[in-house]
Amino acid sequence: MTPRDEDQVMFVESSRFTDPRTLHGAPAGPGRKRHRPVTSLLAAAVGLSTLAACAASGEEASVLEGDTITIGVKFDQPGLGLGENGEFAGFDVDVAHYLAEEMGFDRDDVEMVGVTSVEREDKIIEGEVDMVVATYSITPERKTEVTFGGPYYVAKQDILVSADATDIETVRDLEGLEVCQGEGSNSASRITEGLGIDATVSEAPSYSRCIDRLDDGSADAVSTDDLILAGYLAEDPSAYRFVNYPFTDEKYGVGLPYEDVEACEAVNKAINRMYQDGTAGELLEKWFGSTDLELLRTVPQFEGCV
Amino acid sequence: MTTTASTSARGPSSSSDGDERFPSVLRVRLRTTPARLWLLTVASVLVVAGLSVSAGSALEQARNGVEVLGEDAGPQAMATTELYLALAGMDAHVADVLLMGTDHGLGSGRESAEEQYEASRTRANEALLQAASLTEGDSIEERNVQAVLDGLGEYERVAGEALLLNDEAEAPPGEVDGAALERYREGSRLMHTDLMPKAFNLGLGSSAIVRANHEEGQDALVLGLLRVGGTGVLAIGVLAGFQIYLSRRFRRRLNVPLLAATALTTALTAGVVLTLDAAGGAQSRAKEEGLDAAMALARAEAVATDMQADQSRYLLDPELADNHQQVYLERAQAVLFRPAGNLEEYYGQIREVADAYPDLPGEGVQPGEDGQDTDPGTLGYLGEDARDSLLPTERGALGEVLSAYDTLQDEDRRMRELSEDGDRSGAIDARMDIAHHQEGAFTDYTDALDRLIELHGEQFASGIDSGERSLSVWAWLLPTGTLLVLALLAAGARPRLAEYR
Repeated sequence: MTPRDEDQVMFVESSRFTDPRTLHGAPAGPGRKRHRPVTSLLAAAVGLSTLAACAASGEEASVLEGDTITIGVKFDQPGLGLGENGEFAGFDVDVAHYLAEEMGFDRDDVEMVGVTSVEREDKIIEGEVDMVVATYSITPERKTEVTFGGPYYVAKQDILVSADATDIETVRDLEGLEVCQGEGSNSASRITEGLGIDATVSEAPSYSRCIDRLDDGSADAVSTDDLILAGYLAEDPSAYRFVNYPFTDEKYGVGLPYEDVEACEAVNKAINRMYQDGTAGELLEKWFGSTDLELLRTVPQFEGCV
Repeated sequence: MTTTASTSARGPSSSSDGDERFPSVLRVRLRTTPARLWLLTVASVLVVAGLSVSAGSALEQARNGVEVLGEDAGPQAMATTELYLALAGMDAHVADVLLMGTDHGLGSGRESAEEQYEASRTRANEALLQAASLTEGDSIEERNVQAVLDGLGEYERVAGEALLLNDEAEAPPGEVDGAALERYREGSRLMHTDLMPKAFNLGLGSSAIVRANHEEGQDALVLGLLRVGGTGVLAIGVLAGFQIYLSRRFRRRLNVPLLAATALTTALTAGVVLTLDAAGGAQSRAKEEGLDAAMALARAEAVATDMQADQSRYLLDPELADNHQQVYLERAQAVLFRPAGNLEEYYGQIREVADAYPDLPGEGVQPGEDGQDTDPGTLGYLGEDARDSLLPTERGALGEVLSAYDTLQDEDRRMRELSEDGDRSGAIDARMDIAHHQEGAFTDYTDALDRLIELHGEQFASGIDSGERSLSVWAWLLPTGTLLVLALLAAGARPRLAEYR
């Protein structure tokens, strides 16, 4: 391990907060002045102490320290992450690029790879990807294996039905109907178990197949996150409509290696900026603006890095 | 030339023939014994002074680190964390007052709810001031503080309108006026989607500042420790070299004052190194077991405050009742997590946790072969604290928190059953009893939690205190010790130097 720029930046940045003068906005009294080694020693000192600290605790390097960053995104989710000819496009993909840039990576040093829902944890744990931005809901279970930056968006569970199914107005109208959900998802169980509504749940290998079933009439409704549904709706705004019954929070997090607190805090800072500089609003508008989905344009409540 | 000759004649004979092979100015000057004696004396004084300076600066740095954590960054981070609690409290009290409608005597009464609202508002203001101070210079966080300040004014306006409309409509308990409900939804939405997330993030940001701060301090401490150790070893080496030179040159076995100076230097070095190490350890404990735990529990209190307000929202907004019930479960899961798909399952799981404590359900369960249906354990803020609480008093206090939380969930079940059975006024009574200012189940829970937070707060204070105390001794010990070493050096070197006068 060698002394890195980040360390020095970190040191300089954080020393601002340790300096009592900035905390009080007034010059410190003589007794509070810090004795600092001269500047030339400072840089050496940081390197040395980082070395000692890393050696002592055996910490793994943060993904921030890499020269490049590999980010896992969805490849089969219109509007969020859709892969075509090795290129990915969607809201998640744009967010991932923004975050990577804020984290100090050049566009050329960012590699996007497609991940499926089931392999997200494993790919992070095994180090195949450094970061996952793929409609990855933060749950207490997942938090035991993955550290989550963000969420960068809080989606709601909602239900998409055919535009002509006018008899379905609320979630309770799904009684006795067939609801399609993605394999391994538990979104429909929130309707059946959570709310006690007697609907039949069918599973399809992907949400696209659920949409197919909606088209051919073999399913009455598709249940999942509104942002995913909005992706399909944006492709054909006249074919479907939302039941508009947002009933749970799906916190889309940025998956990072477990306990990579440094990267997690950097991601949170970047998300804060993404909302403040208007990028988040623009991206939401770009990908989902053609739907009637009510988009949240304020920064979500973060999960916390520790 | 004559001086040199006469001195060497008086002193012990020189055996360093080799010197003449390197006829540099220095060599010439150092050729004589008194010159060497002076050199060794000056070198000894310098290394001892160097040790003193490096020890002094390392100790000062450690003192500053402890002070900043103990008096500035730590308490400010804690205060910022409480902003979220204050905001959640404000919206909770507005919901309660709306639910009460014309019956101002429900629970602990409307007046009490209004007083608590004001108290939360004041607390939010104070926390915002602390947050503004802590985030100064960080443009992103400063903008968030400003946004919360502005948004809070907007919230107060909308909430005030909701209450006014409801009063004007003379809405009976549980039958909130339609226009008032619209306003409340607007305000609550502003609170939950905009202000509270920003407030929560500010709290997390302040934790991050403390963490970065602390890590930097620990790094500096390691470095200071290495420097003190290094200069200490150098000083001991020079003093020992002096001793060896004297014993060879003057054929005396030991120079006692010099020996004492060496011993004292060794003691000073070891003492400072051990103190720095201990201070670093005390600081880490203060931060991790004290401050971090207290902040996590403060979040548990804030989320629970919002959670219990979902009971009022569930009752006052029948149209979104399912939604508020679901959100209640989600917030409850953040406070104390057990795998449960609905509230009924959750109540059972929580009872199990409270009964099993200090054992935690789901701990040590091996994952199933297919990786499915595994028990992730007892998680959430309280679950995490259960894992990290080491002191017996903390375990006891946490036991009380868990049992109060279980009672709170029992009361929640009772309220929802009444509501589902169509007994709205019974359900409203049950809700307002839970929120009762003095004897409600929620008050019992927060009281128990406050006691636990207090314990972690004490751990923080005692860690800071022990760090400060061990460091403060050196304020007089280091200069005194240094002067003593210098005095011993003088006592050891002077008689030898005097021989050449």
